[in-house]
Amino acid sequence: MSGNYRSVFDIIGPVMVGPSSSHTAGAVAIGKAARSIFQEVPKKVTVHYYESFAKTHRGHGTDFAIAAGIMGFPPDDARVPMAPELAKKAGIDIRFVEEEGPSPINHPNTAILDLSDGDQHNTQVGGCSVGGGAIEIRSIKVQGVELHPSGPLPIVLYLDRDKNKPLIKGLAKMLDESAKLKKQQTKLVHDGELYEFDMLKYLKPKQIAELKEKFKGIVCLK
Amino acid sequence: MFDSIKELVETATKSGKPLSELIIDAEVKSSGVSREEVWEKMKRNLNTMRQAVTKGETGEGVHSPTGLTGGEAIKIREYRKKHQTLSGDAMMGAVQAAVATNEVNAALGVICATPTAGSSGTLPGVIESLQNRLDLDEEALIRFLFTAGGFGLIIANHAGIAGATGGCQAEVGSASGMGAAAAVEAAGGTPQQSAEALSIAISNLLGLVCDPIAGLVEVPCVKRNAIGTANALVSADMALAGCVSKIPADECIMALDKVGKQLPSSLRETGIGGLAGTPTGQAIKAKIFGEDA
Repeated sequence: MSGNYRSVFDIIGPVMVGPSSSHTAGAVAIGKAARSIFQEVPKKVTVHYYESFAKTHRGHGTDFAIAAGIMGFPPDDARVPMAPELAKKAGIDIRFVEEEGPSPINHPNTAILDLSDGDQHNTQVGGCSVGGGAIEIRSIKVQGVELHPSGPLPIVLYLDRDKNKPLIKGLAKMLDESAKLKKQQTKLVHDGELYEFDMLKYLKPKQIAELKEKFKGIVCLK
Repeated sequence: MFDSIKELVETATKSGKPLSELIIDAEVKSSGVSREEVWEKMKRNLNTMRQAVTKGETGEGVHSPTGLTGGEAIKIREYRKKHQTLSGDAMMGAVQAAVATNEVNAALGVICATPTAGSSGTLPGVIESLQNRLDLDEEALIRFLFTAGGFGLIIANHAGIAGATGGCQAEVGSASGMGAAAAVEAAGGTPQQSAEALSIAISNLLGLVCDPIAGLVEVPCVKRNAIGTANALVSADMALAGCVSKIPADECIMALDKVGKQLPSSLRETGIGGLAGTPTGQAIKAKIFGEDA
């Protein structure tokens, strides 16, 4: 059993603007995840599509969906179909590229996003839409260093600038108690140590708020 | 969360609790939010479904930006008014609701994915029929959705629900199985009969390919939901009559998974094979996206 779907609302839901849960609602979620990881409004986004996404993104509204996610719109927001124009007005340049060949993260519904502030801040996020609006994040590249999470959300990311080991121990304990920690990994990046945690259960809104207060800049992908 | 249909049915049978109650309990436990919140969320989903049906079957109906789909829920509505339908008015009312929902989806309207947007009409169709035939109140319909979701969760975790990985059988097939199982509970059947209904419904749609013309969630998706709804109702009726699937539900889901994996990529939401690959399908694609598409 894969166990990647964790709530009855993964099946009955999301409430969304059509036409496709995987190619539209899931694409909104990938855009939103990428924006959360980037942690600021990007100036430039290049979206690389693979396989089914490359073949059918136009018909499924995947372009406006990814733009909507980057803009932070929920999947049932009436502005979703207008997101590319709204992004342009907001000064975000979003481009879409249909890539040939298989997905580098091994799923037919793949979008790999390159986000940039037009200067030094660059991040790459590889997401796939696994069905019914659910997504997985299978690759993240921050400061030139690549991470490969297991995929299913929730995923928690934290950049520890002070290399404070006891702090991270506390974070891992807190995560394990609230949402069962499945796996954690760490990579040395320019600004410190980047930690990635794969969780087995969804974090509750209260727990996310608590984490954000205690660990500045923490990213909780749900 | 239940790991298998066998486990779900056995728990319900032993405890004497309705399936919907067990599924609500499991959701409350795993999400950590209160029963009231979980209930309210499902109520909002039900309201979204009802609004989509109303939107699609009122006035002139809705039409997609490409013009490929739309207005057919209205045709069914008018036909029902003027004719003695062949499949019966309740069935055609269900079909009308299913078509209306997927037309709204294709027109970029707001729907509730159940389990996906492409298969979002199947459950609203079943709901329409349950309301008409059994006069169910809102509480019973919310329970219907929990039960459908609980069965769907097991399907999603063992076989998947994306057309791109499992074909249309994973979307409309799953929705139809979920609807059949939940309809049995709504009609007063036993948990085992719910499992039989799911097995029958999934077996009937096994192998269904995902072959959208021009890659759009329009043709044949809208009409496949009509069949998903009808198949759910027929399968539920058969199970309530005491008919049994020779293959247990969990094994039907295994078959769904295996068949999905055996489908070539051209028949998994790439807009290449099946109806999408026909001369007319290709011509429509060229007309919508230009010759280079």
